[in-house]
Amino acid sequence: MKQLVLLMATFLIAGNSYGANLFAGQSKAEAMCSQCHGLKKPSVDSPFPRIFERDFTYLQTALQQYRDKTRKSDIMNAVTGSLSDDDIDNIAAYYDNIHPSK
Amino acid sequence: MKITTKILSTAVFTVLSLSVNASDDAHHSNQLYQENCASCHGADHGGYIAPALNADTLKGRSPTALRSIIMTGSFDTLMPPFYGKLSDDDIRGLVKHLQSTPKQPNPAWTLEDMKKSVQVYVQDESTLPSKPTYEIDSMDNIIGVAARGKYGRGAGSKAVFINSSTHKEIGEVPTGTAAHIIEFNPTNPRWAYVKTDTAEIFKIDLYSMKAVRSIKTGMNGPGIGISRDGKYIMAGSFVPHNAVILNADTLEPLKTFELEGVDPDGKMVSSDSGMIIGTPFADIFAIALENAGQVWVVDLTEGFPVTKITDVGRHLHDAFLTHGGQKLMIASYDDSIVAAIDLKERKIIKKLPAGCVPHVGGGSAVKVDGRTLGFGTNFGDCDKMVVSVWDLDKMELVKQIPVSGGTESPAAHANAPYVAVDIISKDKRARTIQLIDKKSLEVAKTLDVGGHAYFPEYSADGKFLYVSAGYNGDEVVVYDSNTFEKVASIGMESPAGIFSRGRVKYMTRGLAPDEMKGAK
Ligand code: HEC
Ligand code: HEC
Repeated sequence: MKQLVLLMATFLIAGNSYGANLFAGQSKAEAMCSQCHGLKKPSVDSPFPRIFERDFTYLQTALQQYRDKTRKSDIMNAVTGSLSDDDIDNIAAYYDNIHPSK
Repeated sequence: MKITTKILSTAVFTVLSLSVNASDDAHHSNQLYQENCASCHGADHGGYIAPALNADTLKGRSPTALRSIIMTGSFDTLMPPFYGKLSDDDIRGLVKHLQSTPKQPNPAWTLEDMKKSVQVYVQDESTLPSKPTYEIDSMDNIIGVAARGKYGRGAGSKAVFINSSTHKEIGEVPTGTAAHIIEFNPTNPRWAYVKTDTAEIFKIDLYSMKAVRSIKTGMNGPGIGISRDGKYIMAGSFVPHNAVILNADTLEPLKTFELEGVDPDGKMVSSDSGMIIGTPFADIFAIALENAGQVWVVDLTEGFPVTKITDVGRHLHDAFLTHGGQKLMIASYDDSIVAAIDLKERKIIKKLPAGCVPHVGGGSAVKVDGRTLGFGTNFGDCDKMVVSVWDLDKMELVKQIPVSGGTESPAAHANAPYVAVDIISKDKRARTIQLIDKKSLEVAKTLDVGGHAYFPEYSADGKFLYVSAGYNGDEVVVYDSNTFEKVASIGMESPAGIFSRGRVKYMTRGLAPDEMKGAK
């Protein structure tokens, strides 16, 4: 229960400060990112960056740069091509909010 | 880590023996295939838990599209992304290799090979602790989860053990390649056995949560069973087509069996091993020959003689026990039946109607209003998506309950009101579990678990339902069996099968422990 309340509280904070929707972010992350970066964290056997350790602003900037191709990566440029600003904010808020136990 | 290296060296050995006169490039690609892909796609390129990859199946496919699947993986499936794990050149080489390599003949893996593969991690078992090194009320409360690991091998692949009354992890054992099945020794609670996708079997000491020995019984194949006295293990493979009886204590292989026979259509075929099961009813194993449609009953006496029951069905797979373990209910994929077999008379009792591509998982049986009802899930995605319910005393169909998709594995418990089935159809439905009311035999609830939700299992006391949020869900989720409030989540990479030690008490999930007494 305590955990749930805590979760709700974080959700509200996250929701307020970024105007982002965590649930929408989670469902995008599931569909588009989890394969490589994990829904929480990437596979211990994978070479993909641990994006859950990054904060909202870092993620938002990185995704915008990948989308605008000012940061180059064949894979990330392709993945982010179709994302809207809202999508980016939602996904960034979702990963910012993830704190896997180990 | 030592374990992983040892398994890898066995794998490399296998690769060498499979590719004697290949050119250097092909040799390199074959090695990459065996080390990265074969655990899922089959060491013989014939498919296993993933599609066959060979010249035939990939004929006419665009190399660019195949390269892209290998780089990014396939979303919502077990196919992982190899971008950054393999170089672009390696991936191109693999595509070329796969599109020009035919399905390979059955490789040899003899009793001698198995003997040589035995690894001993703990020489002197008397040095192991004499009781669990963690708090637990009863060893039956242990639940084991096969954590596949994203790549089906590596540091993410392990068997994870959980105390199902506290929902806390109590230990984990690395398995090198994806853990697939966990069996518990029915007579000595300290031993468990884990079989991997690449057919290694680990003997695990649950008191210290350590692997003490392992053996490689083949290249691929999930089949494993343990005898009622806890003295023998039988294991069977998809690649190659054989089975073996092991000493459960030392893992020493005692006898191998070539799996072949005349199928129901009169053709002599070499066969994959389907389910293998030990029963509280007798000192026997039953093994399904998938393609030959036969069930063999092996007596655990001098020479391990075999009684063959033929014409059971077209493409047999998995099974469950009833009537104190005297009767076996076995699913047959291609003719949509579940065959009831009497293990005493060693003959078919009846073939019961099922849904499309019946896959009973571990099966379930419950006592309701004086009747014993068996529940059968069905893999197939067809118009008629149902869970079959049979009266196991009369051996007749009671009802086919409509569910929202294909199903793979039912869970039941004598103390829990619902039978849980996992919906596996390839869309959002795969996130869900449906709960069937034991009395009304209707779906009462649908749970959205997340990930690819599968392999539901009740805790030994029936109070909690465990479900794997597999593929990218990366957690096992625990529910209260009555309220379905989420009570815990345990993180791990790509969890799949969940196995309660309680199973050794109730034979088939859903029955009360006293069901087994009559048998002994
Ligand atoms: C097919 C695999 C794949 C998928 C799918 C994928 N990524 Fe990536 N991602 C990568 C790789 C590879 C890199 C490293 C790229 C580079 O070198 O800049 C990366 C880098 C990133 C980075 C930069 C990390 C850092 O530390 O600077 C972020 C942020 C990121 N990805 C977010 C996402 C999000 C959000 C999604 C889903 C919308 C996603 N990725 C989907 C493979 C993937
Ligand atoms: C953990 C299990 C696993 C591993 C390891 C794995 N695959 Fe797969 N692979 C799958 C599954 C499951 C599918 C089916 C995906 C689907 O249905 O979309 C698949 C699909 C594919 C396909 C598409 C097949 C088709 O007919 O469309 C190719 C090609 C492929 N894998 C190549 C590879 C290669 C090459 C490797 C090794 C470098 C590999 N896979 C390793 C599970 C795996």
